[in-house]
Amino acid sequence: MSRRVLVALVIAAALLLAAAAWWWLRDTGDGDTAGGGPDGAPAVSRAVELYFPGPQAMLVAERRELDMAEDAEARLDTLARALVEGPRRDDLFAPLPQGVSVRSVSLADGGRVYIDLVSEEGQGPPSGGSTEERLRVYSLVDTLVLNVDEARSAVVLWNGVQPETLSGHLDLTRPLLPDRSLIAGAGATEAAGAGEEAGAAGDGAGE
Amino acid sequence: MPFGLQDPADRGELLRVPTVVGETGPLFALAPVVAELGGRLEVRRGDSHALTLRGREILFGPEIRTVAVGTDIVSLDQVPRLVDGEIYVPLGFLRDVYGRLTNVTFSRERDGLRVGRSQTGRLTVATDVVHLQGVTTVVLEFSGRPAYRVEDRALGIDVVLQGATASGPGQRPQDDPLVDRVAVEGRRISLHLKPGARADSYTLEDPFRIVFDVVRGEAGPRPGADPGSDTVDPFATRRPEPPEGIRTIVLDPGHGGSESGAVGPSGVEEKDLTLLLARALKSRLESALGVRVILTRDEDASLPHATRTAIANQNKADLFISLHLNSAFGASARGAETYFLSTTASDERAARSAEEENRTATAGGAPRGDDPLYDLQLILWDLAQSHFLGQSQRLGTLIQGELNSALDLRDRGVKQAPFVVLMGAAMPAVLVEAGFISNPEEEERLQDPGYRAQLADALVRAIGAYKAEVEGRGGDDGAAAGDGR
Repeated sequence: MSRRVLVALVIAAALLLAAAAWWWLRDTGDGDTAGGGPDGAPAVSRAVELYFPGPQAMLVAERRELDMAEDAEARLDTLARALVEGPRRDDLFAPLPQGVSVRSVSLADGGRVYIDLVSEEGQGPPSGGSTEERLRVYSLVDTLVLNVDEARSAVVLWNGVQPETLSGHLDLTRPLLPDRSLIAGAGATEAAGAGEEAGAAGDGAGE
Repeated sequence: MPFGLQDPADRGELLRVPTVVGETGPLFALAPVVAELGGRLEVRRGDSHALTLRGREILFGPEIRTVAVGTDIVSLDQVPRLVDGEIYVPLGFLRDVYGRLTNVTFSRERDGLRVGRSQTGRLTVATDVVHLQGVTTVVLEFSGRPAYRVEDRALGIDVVLQGATASGPGQRPQDDPLVDRVAVEGRRISLHLKPGARADSYTLEDPFRIVFDVVRGEAGPRPGADPGSDTVDPFATRRPEPPEGIRTIVLDPGHGGSESGAVGPSGVEEKDLTLLLARALKSRLESALGVRVILTRDEDASLPHATRTAIANQNKADLFISLHLNSAFGASARGAETYFLSTTASDERAARSAEEENRTATAGGAPRGDDPLYDLQLILWDLAQSHFLGQSQRLGTLIQGELNSALDLRDRGVKQAPFVVLMGAAMPAVLVEAGFISNPEEEERLQDPGYRAQLADALVRAIGAYKAEVEGRGGDDGAAAGDGR
């Protein structure tokens, strides 16, 4: 009797180990499995920088490893969703209020990205001051355009419509080019700044 | 020896200049160029740089894409940078600013810059004719910047090139009520008008264009045109009428009605405080400077952006000042900042224009642009704003300086952004963010009428200093004007 129980336990443990091994091999990476490619195209883990609003009215790069598809539009979609989901660092902020999500991201001729944001129950864009508005908008524009070579400018849509502004200041009726001046550490001290941010964000990519 | 002229030849001379890597191309140290080719380079407050060249003052700075040449604005392909205290500029700066004022050409070589005298020759001219709401806009877009003069004649205007010839298809628009045809022949580009039409001309940059607004009516003087002149100012764009003085100021309290603007931690709304600040500023400006002041709104009401600037335009205001309070993520951001309009849209247009040219070249001459109104809107936008950016920057600098020194606010600087409310203003226009309502301390201060009075006084001093400059009493009068609060 006790030998039978022992054999059964050994078999059960072996099965469990096999299942765990299968699961582990199936899902390698660090958990950011935001998107594979369309039609089953393999996604490749890539280092990207998501630009989140920081406490000093600047955007701060948070480095991530994201599973990125070959297709540029799918990469943009992955980036936009990861950005809107919010930062991992406690001192950074999600660029958009809770309840706002990405409905679609598309890439048009000339590298123009259209990102359509949708709010629960169809609310209008958030109110706020001009700095808050610029950080919200360029968080999206910089993250999408600076991480994807095929992208050159971005148009922000809200509930499918291109608004004049998000919060009453910044012109959204024309495609926006990325603005590096809003990124902490970019520009004249880019090398030093990038190093700092990489160090600070390094915890996200570890094993 | 860091640089020097070498190998004088027909192609020009090689100037070895230190370079650094910029965003999209090399940046060249400006000081050696100025030392070799002439001019005076000065560094002013806040890393602002001034280059005096042939009697012109050129204002620019690190990380700023626009360059003010007198009252004209040139948009650069990439921003200058300050490296080890020395200013580095893109090739576009040398070509479009330095080169035009000195008739020197610059081209990039592996070992430095190739410098030569301007070579004149053949230019191509693309012609656009668009009629909208009683105005026909004719745009002549040149492949290079020519020297030229504009000559009036019966039923038309000629652009006569100097030292160059032009080629292009011209245009005979269908059913245009004002323009018969545009012909490009050798040195002469002729605009043939229909009876009763008259045209005003001005120029736009990047690419260089001569634009005619054709309307029905009697011929009148054309601002900017310089018939018969042999020497053509390369920056002779249509300038705003020289201001006789600052007589009317439109203040725009930001937001209003259903649009609250920023909301502070205690629930205070930006729209209410901007209105209170605007009222305080209005009475002070009227009494201290003797100017007429108009508020775009004097109640809690929603107002479209276009209406705000339309009020300023219709009242022929000399200044447009939009008053706002800021917010950011978290509570720590604080301080004031002043904005004037950025030319980001022009950058996008430049990219689009290059794209169109490439497409046209590869497709064998397809018509440029799939949306003629797009270009026209940008031209109209240029009209409303681009001629005032230099003045707006100056006003913004004075305002920011006063806010910093008087109120001990953290200096967040004079900045540029594509803010909608500034776009339609046909006069110097700035947007002032007088503090962060999202910062609990600043929120509390901003609710204090005494503090708002101090803010208003600082703005009066800055506007007074600007007024003194415009009215020819010089920059130093600003302090004196500012004392009369």
